[in-house]
Amino acid sequence: MGNEPVVSPPRRATATPDHLPGLLLASVFVIATCGLIYELIAGTLASYLLGDSVTQFSTIIGAYLFSMGIGSWLSRYLDEPLLKWFIRLEILVGLVGGFSAPLLFVLFEYVTSFRLMLYALVGLTGVLVGLEIPLLMRILEDRFAFKELVSRVFTFDYIGALLASLIFPLVLVPQLGLIRTSLFFGALNVIVAAVALHRFRETRPYRRQFTGVIIGALLMLGVGFAYAERIMTYTETLAFQDQVIYSKSTPYQRIVLSKNNRELRLFLNGNLQFSSADEYRYHEALVHPAMQALPRARRVLVLGGGDGLAVRELLKYNQLQSIRLVDLDPGMTHLFQHNQMLLALNKGSLLNPRVQVINGDAYQWVRQDTTRYDCIVVDFPDPSNYSVGKLYTAAFYRELDKLLVSGGLIVVQSTSPYVARQSFWCVRHTLDAAGFHTIPYHCYVPSFGEWGYVLAGRNGHWRGDGGLPAGLRYVTPATIRDMLYFPPDMAEVPTEINQLNNQALVRYFEEDWGPYTH
Amino acid sequence: MLGPSLLLESCGSATASRGHIQGTLHGASHVLGHLLRQPGKLPAPSRTLQAEVVIVGGGVAGLAAKRWLHRQEVHEVLLLELEEQVGGNAASGHSEVSAYPWGAHYLPVPDTRNQDLLDFLREAGVITGYDAATGLPIYNEYHLCHDPEERLNIQGYWQSGLVPELGVPAADRQQIARFFALIEQLRQAKGHDGKDAFAIPVDHSSADDTFRQLDLLSFGDYLAREGFTSPYLCWYLDYCCKDDYGATTATTSAWAGLHYFAARKGSAHNATASDVLTWPEGNGFLVHHLRRASPENILPQTLAYALRETSDGVEVLAYDVRAQQSVQLKAKQVLLATPQFVTQRLLAGVAESKALACYHAPWVVANLTVDGLPQGPGRPLCWDNVVYGSKSVGYVNANHQDLAMTADERKVITLYWPLADEAPDLARRAAYQTSYDEWLQRIMAELETAHPGVTPHVAQADIWVWGHGMIAPTPGFLWHSERLAAAQPLRQKIFFAHTDLSGMSIFEEGFYQGIRAAREILASA
Repeated sequence: MGNEPVVSPPRRATATPDHLPGLLLASVFVIATCGLIYELIAGTLASYLLGDSVTQFSTIIGAYLFSMGIGSWLSRYLDEPLLKWFIRLEILVGLVGGFSAPLLFVLFEYVTSFRLMLYALVGLTGVLVGLEIPLLMRILEDRFAFKELVSRVFTFDYIGALLASLIFPLVLVPQLGLIRTSLFFGALNVIVAAVALHRFRETRPYRRQFTGVIIGALLMLGVGFAYAERIMTYTETLAFQDQVIYSKSTPYQRIVLSKNNRELRLFLNGNLQFSSADEYRYHEALVHPAMQALPRARRVLVLGGGDGLAVRELLKYNQLQSIRLVDLDPGMTHLFQHNQMLLALNKGSLLNPRVQVINGDAYQWVRQDTTRYDCIVVDFPDPSNYSVGKLYTAAFYRELDKLLVSGGLIVVQSTSPYVARQSFWCVRHTLDAAGFHTIPYHCYVPSFGEWGYVLAGRNGHWRGDGGLPAGLRYVTPATIRDMLYFPPDMAEVPTEINQLNNQALVRYFEEDWGPYTH
Repeated sequence: MLGPSLLLESCGSATASRGHIQGTLHGASHVLGHLLRQPGKLPAPSRTLQAEVVIVGGGVAGLAAKRWLHRQEVHEVLLLELEEQVGGNAASGHSEVSAYPWGAHYLPVPDTRNQDLLDFLREAGVITGYDAATGLPIYNEYHLCHDPEERLNIQGYWQSGLVPELGVPAADRQQIARFFALIEQLRQAKGHDGKDAFAIPVDHSSADDTFRQLDLLSFGDYLAREGFTSPYLCWYLDYCCKDDYGATTATTSAWAGLHYFAARKGSAHNATASDVLTWPEGNGFLVHHLRRASPENILPQTLAYALRETSDGVEVLAYDVRAQQSVQLKAKQVLLATPQFVTQRLLAGVAESKALACYHAPWVVANLTVDGLPQGPGRPLCWDNVVYGSKSVGYVNANHQDLAMTADERKVITLYWPLADEAPDLARRAAYQTSYDEWLQRIMAELETAHPGVTPHVAQADIWVWGHGMIAPTPGFLWHSERLAAAQPLRQKIFFAHTDLSGMSIFEEGFYQGIRAAREILASA
């Protein structure tokens, strides 16, 4: 960097060697990159945690830019020694910006008004970043002509912004993840402070004191960087209350297993599927009322139920020759065929020679299957979206009808008749409309609450006093009788039939569960 | 002599790519079609074929006529089609991801009085039976459009349904409610001849002047007269005119604008009048079943270019594009199932012939293979997706009727864009001169408004430019005596069938026209 002609005479004697303006310009580049990175992190996190990316991104960027304006305006109140202010500011930006991502991840679980926290943090970072450039320009104003100053500072500012916008999506997010990216750029801000502190003579009086602060800040950021993985797991653990022992994203869903002293829990996309403490109630109630009425059953089809727990109950009937399980997600069936803890739970049911596991779409499968089954166990996730809703339509049940031997039975898990009363009865009415005689029943599963099922057959000959296998913990002939009774708060309500062209059930399900989830 | 160069020009498509997006520009063979203007340039016939009936044009009308004649044991029927595939406006295509439409893509649940149509739908497996108690048809659920059906992007949000609701002021809502109340009244209205005021086929509508005089007025003028001024309602109705007719409220007759709503009287055991039937390939599904009824004796890539009456029938001269030679076809009768601008050329040397001047807006249809559609808040992807205030009439998800969940996120969406802002001939000339890259740029800009950041998700964009998209029922067209006269056979030798003769290009009209003409042919024999 050569000496530039100076138009306005220096107003202030300087103790700074001539190569140092170059250093300050380099720091413009670094702080500009950091500034934009914080903005991108906040925008990404907001759309990641709150959804609705367009609104989140644009309001975050708006709030950030506005806060930068406030920072720039506030810079007028900072007076000499400017360099000391600049060093303080860099340390502060490094800490606030650096910890923004981990802080937001953790706070998301704790704070009721997360949005407020998010904007407060974005505002604070924005104000601090907005102070940086005006402050630097004032430090540099005596060393450059005004036109040179503006030209250089803004050139480096915008080059930094370009760099940030390119490396953020291409390198940083895929390689480091949001938490580490945030901490890494925080460290860069602190390093700018460290370099300024050690290269400018005028910092001598406070050098020792500030060195300590800088080392402390870098240590904090470094520790955060090293434990980023654990922060991530910690936040997921919070969402699931217990310790997360397994998590995996398959093309279809996110599978999370959590554990405490008492129980193992499985979550699919954040929704509880079972707790090992009481799943026997759910699965015994799903399987035995149908199976005890079919003493001559040979073949069973299970749709969904990739955990193998319904199959475990079915295997208690020795007369069954084959059980075919069709589950969409190979990630799920593989997990329940290989994980020791889960094998203990399902008693290795999916590895039993009588069991055939098929990974495929249930709708596609039933349309091309030509086998006749004595019993079909339908254990799909709740109808919370249009794709799953199709598997609860009259058209689907008519396909099942074609696969059922005369005298065979279908049982459908039908969500909670207490919480989702309309949804439950809609499933029943849809099975009725598909030409079945139906028997609704329910049981209490502590981790779920009241849960409902519908039995369906072509004739009304079902009886609840057949033979049950030994060793059941919940279902007995008396339990079956109890399960058939619906108290007034769960009693039948009129509903539409769920069809492909109205998807009435998805609407009911949203209405019913809405108050519990929002 | 003109063979090779002609063939090169006539293939009517060009492959191109722009960045990561691959695609092809197709078009109905307009270059080939324009040879009709200079039939003298074509070679003299080198062979002769004989048939009882020659049908020119393999659109819905021509195919429906062929099916009908076949059912009545008239088997010596020859159908000439200019394109590689039959289907006309109901053309379709397919890729490794999905089948998709190139034109018409749905059929509203029909009126149960339309027995011919119900019979055909039963034959095609669209109707699976009739309810014993009510006698109403039961439709195949896989063919009824699945929920969620429609959404509109308005104020940055995807609302459900296409009639604007979100952020619409109370006064506008009131006007919208008043409009639909009026429609409900018209749906049930009958003229003093006892016929429905608005019916499908159009020709079954009442002759009562109370209704027919509405045809002389533009829909826009009618709306203004009746105090329908809400910009939201006006946008919606303009969208409907574009979607069904390729015209605006200013260029559509009031009778036709109202017919769009008031003629929908379908009923079924398991569906309502507002339900529609749709397939991944659009009405290509129906075309396939029409063709299947009588698949033999269809000559594709064959351009009929002259017609002459003889003492015992009719003689048609046609150019076989693949063999590059002309054929002489001798028949007792000919059915021109062609648009009026083609009919007019073919009838050049025929006495007492009259063809109609028709308003055909050009259309652009794009099939885009996407692996995602980034979107803002609101309803998830539907079958029909429209953006408030945009130039196109939105896009349809060709994979909407898929039942299976897969990890493959790829799907095909079909974007429809009537070029209705200019006079048709100007718009047509401009459209023919627009390159693939220019279309792609416009289409991507259109898609980006509702799906910011979608461009990297588009892998393939195939574009079809329809020079003569579909007929628009301009004021005065429908109930002018010329329209009915143009459908009258000439000397029991030359017959006519086409949606141009109905004044609206919908499947039901093409189907009706074909059967009507086939019945006339049978009656004359």
